[in-house]
Amino acid sequence: MLEPVALKDFFITFFSSALIIMAGASYALLFAWSKVKPRLIIKLSAYASYIILLVSVYQLTLAANLDGYWRIISYLMVIGYFFAPIAIWHLCKQTYDEPDLITTLEKDK
Amino acid sequence: MSANTETVKQGSSALKDKLIAFHSWAGVDDSTLNGGQKLAVKYFMGAVVLFIFQILFGLLAAAQFLAPGFLYDILDFSVNRMIHINAMILWMLYGFIGCTYWLLEDESGTEIVGLKFGVLGFWVLTAAIAVVVLVYLLVQTGAGNDTTIWLINEGREYIEAPRWADIGIVVVMLIFFYNVVMTFSKGQWSGIAGVLTLDLVALAGLYVAGMFYMTNITHEQFWWWWVIHLWVEATWEVLVGVIMAWSLMKILGVSRRIVQTWLYIEVALMFGSGILGLGHHYFWIGTPEYWLTIGGFFSALEPIPLVAMVVHAVYDSGERGFKNLNHPAMAWLIAHAFGNFFGAGVWGFMHTLPQINLYTHGTQWSASHGHLAFFGAYATINIAFFYIAIQHWRGNVWMGAGSQNAWRWKWALALLNIGVLGMTIALLIAGYEQSFIERAIGGSTWGGYFSAQTHPSFMSAMQWRMFFGWVTASGLGLLVWDLLTIGKGETRTAEVITQAE
Repeated sequence: MLEPVALKDFFITFFSSALIIMAGASYALLFAWSKVKPRLIIKLSAYASYIILLVSVYQLTLAANLDGYWRIISYLMVIGYFFAPIAIWHLCKQTYDEPDLITTLEKDK
Repeated sequence: MSANTETVKQGSSALKDKLIAFHSWAGVDDSTLNGGQKLAVKYFMGAVVLFIFQILFGLLAAAQFLAPGFLYDILDFSVNRMIHINAMILWMLYGFIGCTYWLLEDESGTEIVGLKFGVLGFWVLTAAIAVVVLVYLLVQTGAGNDTTIWLINEGREYIEAPRWADIGIVVVMLIFFYNVVMTFSKGQWSGIAGVLTLDLVALAGLYVAGMFYMTNITHEQFWWWWVIHLWVEATWEVLVGVIMAWSLMKILGVSRRIVQTWLYIEVALMFGSGILGLGHHYFWIGTPEYWLTIGGFFSALEPIPLVAMVVHAVYDSGERGFKNLNHPAMAWLIAHAFGNFFGAGVWGFMHTLPQINLYTHGTQWSASHGHLAFFGAYATINIAFFYIAIQHWRGNVWMGAGSQNAWRWKWALALLNIGVLGMTIALLIAGYEQSFIERAIGGSTWGGYFSAQTHPSFMSAMQWRMFFGWVTASGLGLLVWDLLTIGKGETRTAEVITQAE
C-alpha cells in the first residue's frame, strides 16, 4: 500500500495536482501561441509555465509520498512532457498544407 | 373493427395535423433534411426532454439534502437521484446517437441502409424508457429478489434499468451499429467512419459486461466499472472526438486531413491512458494491490490527450482568425474544450492518486468532479450539435454576427455554465469538508459521517449548490426557448465554407 497523504499535506496535494494540469496546459497553449504570434514575452511565459509545472510535480512527489522509483518515473514524465508540445507543433505544421478556404453565401454556390 | 380502424386513422391524422402546425410555428422545414437527419431530430428532441427531467429530479434531490423530510415516502431521495443520473446518461446517449445519424449520410455519401429499423428502434427505446421511469417512480418499494432484477431494478448504480430493458437496449444498439456499418460499407469509408465504427463496437460490447450477475460484490463491481469507466473515459471521449472533428470541418472549415490526423492521435492517447486508468476505480473494492500502482500511473496520463486538443484548437482557430458559420455552436464547442479540460482533467487528477483518493472517493468531491466533467465533456458538445442541426433544419439560416435575439443563446450559455461551475465549486467545498472531517479525522466511522453531514460548512455548501441548481435550470429554460425560436424569421442565408481550387 502506498503511504496515504498526511493530514497537514491535504491542501498541498489537491493544489499541486490541479496546478500540474493547469501549468501543463498553459505551457502547451502558450508554446502554440508563441509559434502563431512569435513574440518573446509569450515564449518566456510558456517556459515560466513549464517551471511552475516542474515545481508542482516536485511538491506532489513530496506530499503524495512518491518515493524511490516513483519519484524517478515522475521526473522522467515531466521531462518528457517538455517535448510533447514541440512534437505536437511539428505535427500541426505537417498536416496543415491545405489550400486557402473561401467563404461564400449559400445562394452564390 | 372498421370503427376501430376509423378511430386510429382519425387519431393519426390529428397527430399529423399537430405536427404540421408545430413545424409551421417553429419555422422548420423537413425537406431540408435527409433521412438520417430526420431520425436524428427525433433523438435530439428525446435528448432535450430527458435533459429537462435530469435537471428537475436533480433539483428535487438537492432540496432533500437541505430538508431530508421533503417528499419522504412519496418521492424518496434514492429515486430522485437515480432518475437524475439515468436521465443524464440517456439524454447524452440520445444526443450521441442523434449526432451520428445526422452526419451519417453526409459522411458516407449514401442513404442510410436500414432507416425504417432505425425509426422502429427509436420508438422501442423511447417506449422502454417511459415504462422504466414509471416503474422507478411507482414500484421502488419492498424487498429485492431474483425477479426484481428482471422486472424492476438491477441495482447497479448508473445502470439500474431492469434486465428486460437491458436486452431491449442491446437490440436497439445493434440496429444502430448495423445502420452505421452497413451505410459506410454501401457508401464510402473515411478516417472518421473507421474510428466511429471501432468505437461503436466497444460501446455496444462493453454494455454487455454490465449484465453479468454475480453474488460476490468485488466481482460485481469489477465488471460494472467496465461499463461505467470504459464507456465514459474511453468510448464516449472517442465518440465526442468524432463529433468534434466533423463539427470543426462543418463550421470552421478545418481540413479533413487535420481533423483525421488528430482524431487518430486522440484515439490512441484516450485508449492508451483511459483503459488502464480504469485502475483508479479498483483502489478500494477488494481487487489486488497492484491496481493502486496501475490506476495511479495511468490516471496521470489521462489528461495528456486533452492538452493535445488545446494546442490543436489554438493553431486551427488562430490560422482562421476564429471565423465560423454558427456562433452559438462555436461558443458551445469552446465551452466543450474548456469543460473537458477542467472537469475531466483538473478536477479528475486532483483526487485520483490513491494517496488522496483514500479520503475523497464517494464524497461530494466525486459529485463535484462528476458535475463538471459530464457537463463539460458531453452536455456541451451535444448542445453545440443541437445548434448545428437547428440551423440546417430552419433552412440553413444565418447564425453568425448580428443574429436576431442573440442575447438568448448568450444568456443560456452563461447561465448554464455559471450554474454548473457554481454547483461544482459548492460540491468541492462540501467534498473537501467531508474528506477532512469524515475520512481523515473521523476515520470513516458513522460518527465521522454524521459530523461531516451536519457541519455548517457542508450545509452552507449544499445551499449554494441548490442556488446554482436554479441558475442551471433557468439557463436550460432559456436554451429550450432559444432552440425553439433561433433563426425564425431570419431572411439571410448562412455562408458556406469550401476549399479553394
